Amino acid sequence: MRTITVSSAALPRPVRRFVSPRVLIGIGLLWLSVFFVVPVVYLLFESLNFGDGSLLANYEQALQAVYRQALYRTFGYALLTTVLTLLLGYLTAYYIAFKSSRPFLLLTLVLLPLWVAIIIRFFGVRLFFLSSGPVQQLFGTDFGIMNSRNGVILGLMSALLPFAVLPIYNSLQSIDDELIHASRTLGAGQFQTLRSVIFPLSLSGVIAATLFVFILAAGSFLAPAIMGGPSNFMMANVIEEAQSYSVSLAAAMAVVFTGSLLIVIGAFNHVANVSEVLGDL
Amino acid sequence: MLEVHGLTKAYGSLVAVDDLSFKIEQGEFATLLGPSGCGKSTTLHTIAGLRAATEGSVSLRGEDVTNVPTDERNIGFVFQHSALFPHMTALENITYGLEMQGFEGRDHDEQAQRFLEMVQLGDHGDHKPTELSGGQQRRLSLARALAYEPDILLLDEPLTGLDRVLREDMRNEIKQIQREVDVTTLHVTHDQAEALSMSDRVIVMNDGQKEQEGSPKELYRAPDTEFVAEFVGKSTKFTGTATAPSSSGDGQVLATDTAAVSVGDRRIEFADTDDSVDEQVSLYVRPEQIDIRKTGQQTGTANAFEATVAHIEYLGHRNEIEATLEDGTTVTAYADATIDLELGEAITIEFDPSDVIVL
Repeated sequence: MRTITVSSAALPRPVRRFVSPRVLIGIGLLWLSVFFVVPVVYLLFESLNFGDGSLLANYEQALQAVYRQALYRTFGYALLTTVLTLLLGYLTAYYIAFKSSRPFLLLTLVLLPLWVAIIIRFFGVRLFFLSSGPVQQLFGTDFGIMNSRNGVILGLMSALLPFAVLPIYNSLQSIDDELIHASRTLGAGQFQTLRSVIFPLSLSGVIAATLFVFILAAGSFLAPAIMGGPSNFMMANVIEEAQSYSVSLAAAMAVVFTGSLLIVIGAFNHVANVSEVLGDL
Repeated sequence: MLEVHGLTKAYGSLVAVDDLSFKIEQGEFATLLGPSGCGKSTTLHTIAGLRAATEGSVSLRGEDVTNVPTDERNIGFVFQHSALFPHMTALENITYGLEMQGFEGRDHDEQAQRFLEMVQLGDHGDHKPTELSGGQQRRLSLARALAYEPDILLLDEPLTGLDRVLREDMRNEIKQIQREVDVTTLHVTHDQAEALSMSDRVIVMNDGQKEQEGSPKELYRAPDTEFVAEFVGKSTKFTGTATAPSSSGDGQVLATDTAAVSVGDRRIEFADTDDSVDEQVSLYVRPEQIDIRKTGQQTGTANAFEATVAHIEYLGHRNEIEATLEDGTTVTAYADATIDLELGEAITIEFDPSDVIVL
């Protein structure tokens, strides 16, 4: 744990008054309360029914079969995306960390897509697979990617890959070469070294990547909206739809979704001890 | 046991190891000694297969292993910073090697425990490496490299970063364990004291090449090159042109013409071995060969010079003295702790012609 001591003694008196630690933390807390705590509390309040019927009437509605299905679908897609993105991300990060002679060029290439808005990238992919696009012209099929689950997963993977590569690369490149050499001198082949030494020592990166990708994927709005069809809508899309006719229902669904996400993360934390891992990063 | 032949390792135009050849016999403790950047570590890594040789070959047990992957060479390697696996316990660090090498002699846990005890870590088996002290980590690393009974043990500056007292303890311990296990060992270090105290044979390297090879005694008493004379042990250096034996001499004693130049009006006499008349020579005198006397107590040795005490380092049992001759040459010598010397005091230094190393 590093601590930074802010010494304000060196500053002129009028400035000192405005940069005291209390003022600095105050600005942050104020921002958080106005734009985060208050809206969330208001959302909770909005989701309750103070009119006729049960207080939780909106929740009864939010938990009906069609919405429950959307919730399961959301977590299913997020899980599938996480598994596939991590596999691809691990391979990419491994290559960059150990095999490439120009790691920084490759890292830049991995990060480059983040400069382009997600929606534009999705439209690009969509154009690519559209009936007038090169894939259909060439193969006569879009391989079941457009307006389907596959499209959503593909979109999410392409958008979230950098979030998997970066933390994994970070943990891989911090592994001391001597440890890898030690494993080899102890008689382990390349694959065995990957399995018994490199992978366990990169777990902090894998866990961080899992969290990033899963949370971002579960909350995705654009991928289902652009790459999928109505039957592939995830919670963000369903909530957005509901909002247009019942803000209270949308609020209740938002609470249900966020609550479930927290439970899933809590369960994951139970297995992987996230706080310890994130402390390593 | 180990034979390195014509080994060359180049990184682009930089040649780290240049046509190096040497052999190590079964059970021997050999050391590659040299300053940092001399290619000794690269040599060790190449023997282990962790780096590929540009040219030349490495043979183990009479088999050419130049192109054999590291994990099939059956070597034990102790790394500079222990390289213990942080996610495994002390015991697991050792059993990992036993499993990977397919060790068959004994139950793995039992064998690992035996080696933990050998390095005095018997009751630390379930500790993680980070819970061990620096010295314990080095010992665990040694146990891990030996437990599967490798054909050869390679030590890459294994005592780096330990404090002096611990380093000296560890030297003895490593040497003792090496004898007990009777494993052929190649050790790499830049510390000449470490090399001399541990090794049966030392190979001195400089600039990617072998300077000299021999027992610690040979290197110290009869260095082949100026580099070895200066790198191994302390000494005082004089240079000059050798002249014919002095008329009063008995033919075996030559003198350099430094007489007028470096040491006042005196000549340094030395026992010459190869009639190097009129050649530029370097003379080295080891500090323990130099006698220090208070001025006025002449004994009539051939090489006796007036000097002034410039620096005294108290070592307890004796003092290391730096004295300046009239011409400014600094002489390093040892003085018995019972002799009281003051800074600036005039003394006489003397050494026997037969103790002078001529290069």
